[in-house]
Amino acid sequence: MFTPGSKLFLGLTGFVLAVSVIYVAVVNNSIGGAVALLSVATGTALLAGLTLFNRDGEVAVGDVAAPAGAEPLTSSMWPLVATVGFVGVVAGLLTHPIVFFLGLIALLASGTEWLIQSWSEGASSDKVYNASIRGRMLHPLEFPVLALVGLGVIIVAFSRVMLAVSRDAGAIIFIVAGAAVLFVGSIFALKPSLKKTLVVGICVASAVGVAASGIAAASNGLRADLVEAKEEQHFSHKECGEEVSEHFDHLAEGTISLRSNAVATIELRDGKLTARELGVAKVTQTITFPRSNSATIIFRNKDEKEARLTAFLGTKAVQDGVVEEVLDCTQMIGKDHEQALTFKIAKSSRASDKPYTLTVPGLEGQSIEIMVP
Amino acid sequence: MSTKIRRIVAGAFGLAATAFLAGCAKDAPQDTWQPKGSNAKIIDDLQQPVFAIAGVIGVIVTCAVVYCIIKFRDRGQAIPEQTHGKPALEIGMTILPALILAGVGVFTFRTVFDLSKTSDTQMVVNVTGQQWWWEYDYPAQPEMGITAPIITSGQMIIPVGTKVLLRETSRDVIHSYWIPALNGKRDAVPGRVHTLRLDADKPGIYAGQCTEFCGLSHANMRMETVALSKEDFAAWVANQLADAKSPAEKTLAKEGEGVFLNQCARCHQVNGLKKADGSPAIAAPDENVWAGAAPNLTHLMSRNTFAGAAFDLLSKKCRADVWGATSETVGKKYLAGVTEECLNQTDLRRWLRNAPAMKPMYADPAKLTSTNGKYRGMPNLGLTEDDIDKLVAYLSTLK
Repeated sequence: MFTPGSKLFLGLTGFVLAVSVIYVAVVNNSIGGAVALLSVATGTALLAGLTLFNRDGEVAVGDVAAPAGAEPLTSSMWPLVATVGFVGVVAGLLTHPIVFFLGLIALLASGTEWLIQSWSEGASSDKVYNASIRGRMLHPLEFPVLALVGLGVIIVAFSRVMLAVSRDAGAIIFIVAGAAVLFVGSIFALKPSLKKTLVVGICVASAVGVAASGIAAASNGLRADLVEAKEEQHFSHKECGEEVSEHFDHLAEGTISLRSNAVATIELRDGKLTARELGVAKVTQTITFPRSNSATIIFRNKDEKEARLTAFLGTKAVQDGVVEEVLDCTQMIGKDHEQALTFKIAKSSRASDKPYTLTVPGLEGQSIEIMVP
Repeated sequence: MSTKIRRIVAGAFGLAATAFLAGCAKDAPQDTWQPKGSNAKIIDDLQQPVFAIAGVIGVIVTCAVVYCIIKFRDRGQAIPEQTHGKPALEIGMTILPALILAGVGVFTFRTVFDLSKTSDTQMVVNVTGQQWWWEYDYPAQPEMGITAPIITSGQMIIPVGTKVLLRETSRDVIHSYWIPALNGKRDAVPGRVHTLRLDADKPGIYAGQCTEFCGLSHANMRMETVALSKEDFAAWVANQLADAKSPAEKTLAKEGEGVFLNQCARCHQVNGLKKADGSPAIAAPDENVWAGAAPNLTHLMSRNTFAGAAFDLLSKKCRADVWGATSETVGKKYLAGVTEECLNQTDLRRWLRNAPAMKPMYADPAKLTSTNGKYRGMPNLGLTEDDIDKLVAYLSTLK
């Protein structure tokens, strides 16, 4: 009564229904998740009905329909993958969403492959023809996915290598690898008569080599300076004082792309700090800054000496009774350079004992007050 | 004329008359065809001829289509001889619209540049949109009598005949500021500051509406610009610069101040309000509201509206009196604020009782996971009727 296809879909329907019950009972009793799972169950139930109705599409096979039992079916790995996927889905429900999604992907992929393979093997008595219709159905899916996965592995592996070796070695490896790709690619292009097996062999060996190097590099860990930067948080804190910061001021940008939308431009010229607000022609010593809203100002240095702009944005309690100043700043920039500084002040000036200000460390007596309404 | 044709003609006439009359609204406060300021006039000077040209072209095209439909309708005749191409006509029909559009384009560009002029600005107002109200802050501008920043909401007050520059931004999503009688619309975009110029020829109240869909209560995000004479504006500024005064002891309003401190001061700032220990009460809407702001209520009763200008603080009669005032008297009537007799207690009490029931907002604590528990709009505070009585008494003192 039941065809192989309908058995698959009925099984899937039952499985998704069971998953729905487990999901609602154990993981999350949200309506959204239950609706999504029940929608899948409805879809698979419909497909089961369809496959039952058309007897797995045997009628559509047409003039090359296979006599029953003409060819033995080939062995398939997909039941195994489907089992792994199923286990992943169930384990993921109880452990971690990533496991669930990986299991789901394995289950969907194996289901699709298994379904199409079973269907194509019964399409005719001609194995070549069967393989061709399988390819026609699945290659548009398989090739891009495989290419994506392969490329992903190579990129991740290569990036691990670059993060593990020293900066100088990284540059050399990059040049050598690029030159090698160019050289081998040129050979392939100039010698189209090269044996296919040789081309495939070189490509596979290279890919395996990169992947192996990546695994080796990943197990070796990051290079020393990156480990140090991570431990000392070089990339997450700013040093807003007078001195040049070893890390924050490294390669300060000489220009900016936010100039079209700054609330004010702060200029340092002849040792004096002045402000010009958007839409206001005159120069001032006070700017109005939006409350509780990120906005950008521009710092322009017209003096010979390098300088940074530091914003005092109030105080915050770090422990009981311990209060520290909240500062933000630009990098140290040279003459005729500009830097944007984007920050947010959540509370009005009334909330701060000390006015919010913009200053240049090392420059005495010059300050722009930030008024926050 | 047969009965059937007569019916069709009558129906068509009725439809056309309805469409025509629908465009005629008496005293429509958001009518783009009634400019009340120089910027709106610049737009009007462009739109009038453009609409006239478009109207003439529309009539010509409609007549041609109707003529063709009637003249060449199917009467069972043979299909006429088919020809291809009429170069002179095709070139003419391409060049003519192109010339018309080029002409319109030249004047449009001139208008755009005229409207973007800011060099002769006389006053600046920072306008910040958030779900679903507008905040106006006036930076200190001593030449305008504004010696310290002023902050208000719902209604923006400007002096008449003054070139005011709005610096617009948003705290959450994109909004759009539009007072049709005074200028075109301009988007308020988070992280960006856009400028818009306004000025009003005469004192009056000019209505507007957020014109960029911004979520659940977009339709309730209204705004009004009130133009006052320079003397009246100076009086308004003087009042806004003052802190709120604490009500007299042992009054209902004083008890209301306590309720306000407990329930409202977390988000709403009232300048001059002090806590029980004597320290200033500083609101922290950034800790409670998704946008990071809530209206400053220091001079709530000096404005005519609340809740994003969606509701009136004035009773119907008093509102009609202010809105119907002449340009000579509107300033005095507006500056009178909301008196005890004029207070729209019904809506204010309903709002305090359950704000989200009056204006849809994302204020249900059970559904605030996407905003880390922060409200978008005002929540239902679950106030008792006793608390509401006290709060109304206190809010009425915030002149």
